[in-house]
Amino acid sequence: MALSDLIDHRESTELLDEFAKREIRRATLAAVAIPGYQVPFGSREMPVARGWGSGGLQITLAVVHDDDTVKVIDQGDDDGVNAVNLRRLVTSSTGADESSIASEATLTQSRHRIPEDGLDETSILVLQVPVPEPLRGVERDMRELARMHGEADYSRMWLSLYEDKVRNGVITQTTGYPCLVNGRYVVATTPIPRWDIPRLHDAPFLTLFGAGREKRIYAIPPYTMVEPLTFEDVPFEVENSDGACCALCGKSESFLVSLPNSTTWLCSDTDWCARQRPAT
Amino acid sequence: MGYVSARGGLDAIRAAEKLVRTKRLVSDSNWLEEEQILDKLRLLVDRVMGEAGLWEPQLASKAIRQSEGDATEAVHLLRAYRSTLPRLTYSEATDVDDAQVMRRIVPAFQRVPGNQLLGRSVDYTARFLERTADADAREEAEKLRGAERGIVEEKSPPAEEISPRRLIDLLRDMDMLIDRRRTDDPEPFDITRTPARPPAPRSALLSSMSRADTGALVNQWYRNILGPDGYLHEVTLGEVRHATLPLNVRHPVSGDVVTVSHIRVSEVEAIEDLEGIDEDRTRFDVGYGLCFGHNERKAIAMANLDIACHRDAGKTQLEQSLLLTTDALDSAGFLEHLKLPHYVTFRSMIERKLAVRKMRSNEASAHDGA
Repeated sequence: MALSDLIDHRESTELLDEFAKREIRRATLAAVAIPGYQVPFGSREMPVARGWGSGGLQITLAVVHDDDTVKVIDQGDDDGVNAVNLRRLVTSSTGADESSIASEATLTQSRHRIPEDGLDETSILVLQVPVPEPLRGVERDMRELARMHGEADYSRMWLSLYEDKVRNGVITQTTGYPCLVNGRYVVATTPIPRWDIPRLHDAPFLTLFGAGREKRIYAIPPYTMVEPLTFEDVPFEVENSDGACCALCGKSESFLVSLPNSTTWLCSDTDWCARQRPAT
Repeated sequence: MGYVSARGGLDAIRAAEKLVRTKRLVSDSNWLEEEQILDKLRLLVDRVMGEAGLWEPQLASKAIRQSEGDATEAVHLLRAYRSTLPRLTYSEATDVDDAQVMRRIVPAFQRVPGNQLLGRSVDYTARFLERTADADAREEAEKLRGAERGIVEEKSPPAEEISPRRLIDLLRDMDMLIDRRRTDDPEPFDITRTPARPPAPRSALLSSMSRADTGALVNQWYRNILGPDGYLHEVTLGEVRHATLPLNVRHPVSGDVVTVSHIRVSEVEAIEDLEGIDEDRTRFDVGYGLCFGHNERKAIAMANLDIACHRDAGKTQLEQSLLLTTDALDSAGFLEHLKLPHYVTFRSMIERKLAVRKMRSNEASAHDGA
């Protein structure tokens, strides 16, 4: 008898076995208990490639229930190809419903944005993380990185921000701005734009960060202090769009993305944008 | 508005899936049988099983067919499938000396106990591309089937050659080897359950390399020969083997150890000439490589990098490089994620470039004004 004869050939809709889900839940609980600490976990291979949301997907599959409603966005867009792909994997392998409205969703999986509105104490936000290590730009050696986090020695991070400011006049860090969580660990804020950083501070919702390729889970529990690293006399700056407003909804209070070589701006949160427009 | 982006995603994804699947299944050529892949593309099957870290030739051949020959894609299919299955048991440790050898090369001596066994290898086959017409090749195949019955029916090598004594045993007898054998028996590090980070036990390093992308490992080796790092020199190979090993598990009811299957492995022992200031100049040391299937290139690179990493002893980031940069799915997945939309991050980058410009122009006008 071949090994393949022992295998159940019926199509299973499960993407993860139950042991894996338990393991991911344990890592997630540890992450919530130590805000900002990167918890190693036995990341599994998913039907999507590593770097394509495999870490976020594993967290979502481990914590989602049949009575949950999920929202999945990529760059703020529910209709982006990767968002669509991940959403159908989640809903087809679980009994969860889907919604594009953040306030209706109990779990939102996102690549690189926090929805403009609707997240509250009942919400879980799962962010897909390409690079969980905030200090990699200043140190490559993992042994030294472990020491730096262990001793909260973030001096070289501060130095790099100082040098950036001195050389360039502004801090040029774009997305994924490093933040101190709960006064203890510096985290990589996925690459969400700086626009979203203040919205992590003292947020009513739980944010879980999943890095599948690098096999790390970390968390920002509700009502946790999140401080972007900056100097007392250098205010933290979000993306500036000089009073531009969305060409579709006319609003200026959301995170806007521009079209190439044009003065046309659009909301990156497409669902929020649609809800701002008058019904036709 | 003129605003066009990759919206309407679900339709596009379904259409792409349909295009891939239909073009793969429907074509004018014959259906590609699993047996043909197992038989005619056996080295690709071995490579895919090795990089997947999963010994299952039939599933591997299905994966190769579904991936249309993309080895990394096949590895992905196998590993994602395994993620859906519970792990039911752990195998018992197998002594590699129980292996049945099909091929065995010992470059270190002219004559060795147990003989050299060249076996099925293209090492000394002149690399001429055979341009024989298909019909002629088939005719030749039929002739060979009759004339070369011995080969076709694959007789095992003579009994005394099946488990030859290892060269390193001989070197130990000669007191030419540093003895690093452990007397304790630690559990091996399971890289599929715990992410290996430096400093890691040797078992983590060995299993990472055993499952690594073949090309990545060959590159790591060559990079350390000719690249900017240069930790490594050429070793002398003590053993190069292609062999069959029993796979033993403990019976869940009787508790007896039973052989449930056999796996083929490539195994290499690399004899290192120690020449460091702090090293024992009177003896050799050994690096070890073992991977699924017939993949000598990978096993040789692994053995050489194993001893290189031991000698490096954490001085450089060689260990980190081997543990973290050689997995086929990690590197390929992350590389290909660059195809995903990145317009939020890109917008933020443009904004900072404009902020730097604005700051500089403010400074310039302030300077002019002064």
